Amino acid sequence: MKEEQGERDVIIETVARVMIPFIQLFALYVIIHGAGGPGGGFQGGVVFASGFILYIIAFNLAGGRKRFPESANTILSSVGLYIYAGIGLLAILFSFGAAQYLNYGFIPFTSHFEENRALGMDFVEMGIGITVMAIIASIFFDLAEKDEKQKEGEDG
Amino acid sequence: MRGLRLITLILIILLCGLFAYVAEDIPVFGDPDAPAIKSVELFTMKGAEGVSLLNRQIVPGPLSGELVRRGFPRPSRVEKAAGREGEWNGFIKKEEPRYAAEEKYYRIEREGDDLRVSRYAFVVRWMEKGLEETAVPNMVTYGLADYRGYDTLGETTVIFTAGVSVILLLRRRSRL
Repeated sequence: MKEEQGERDVIIETVARVMIPFIQLFALYVIIHGAGGPGGGFQGGVVFASGFILYIIAFNLAGGRKRFPESANTILSSVGLYIYAGIGLLAILFSFGAAQYLNYGFIPFTSHFEENRALGMDFVEMGIGITVMAIIASIFFDLAEKDEKQKEGEDG
Repeated sequence: MRGLRLITLILIILLCGLFAYVAEDIPVFGDPDAPAIKSVELFTMKGAEGVSLLNRQIVPGPLSGELVRRGFPRPSRVEKAAGREGEWNGFIKKEEPRYAAEEKYYRIEREGDDLRVSRYAFVVRWMEKGLEETAVPNMVTYGLADYRGYDTLGETTVIFTAGVSVILLLRRRSRL
């Protein structure tokens, strides 16, 4: 605990505090605008997870875990994949088996076939973004936890 | 041990030599003056008598026969390429298992007295029809999430599996 106090840096903490909301907002922008501009689910998910990584580097691991708990992490990492697979399945359900899996045009979001495809793609990108974000954060948490445990073992 | 190292060194030198030999034939990448690869040349036909037929939107018999002889689908109709003289687009008809609609397939060019026949690359269809079919302006996104949707689903699964593997390897606790 004493060591942790000594390692704190006001500049890094302040910059991180200001930057993290903007990084995560930008990540949401990248995911949502994947269809219209450069970006997409994979990129946006990684940018979102980098917000958590910056928090852990600037503050500490326990605080990061409190803001993004393990249970939420586990659920989100599979929810994204379920959204993707579910959108694909909806196409079959709404067309009573006439359309192929992942043929978004048959999901009746709007009355236009092409716009249904665009919207289906948006939802799929969101699913990808959620999974990638949760998995990148999970891998980083696991590696950081192991590192911290090793450090404790060396000290004690 | 020493002998093994020597053998490894010799193998590396041999591989480097092989690479240098092969690399000579690799074309320069990123040449800004190179034309875009939008079509693949198939063959050149002698005789310009087909031109008048092509101008009347009729597929010349010898051209059609030559394409079929080479194992390509028979062109159903030809059309003048918009705004270009001496250039035609060949279409093939709808064929349910492979093409859901009529496809632009061949490009026929007049070169002096010859007709040069080439096949459009798939990327041309991808660029021309993507926005129309999916209402998404980003070429990468409609490729990634729509035309190649299965591929991306698999990629996401791979990322998920990677995360689960890291959890299994690093999170050695009683409760998972």
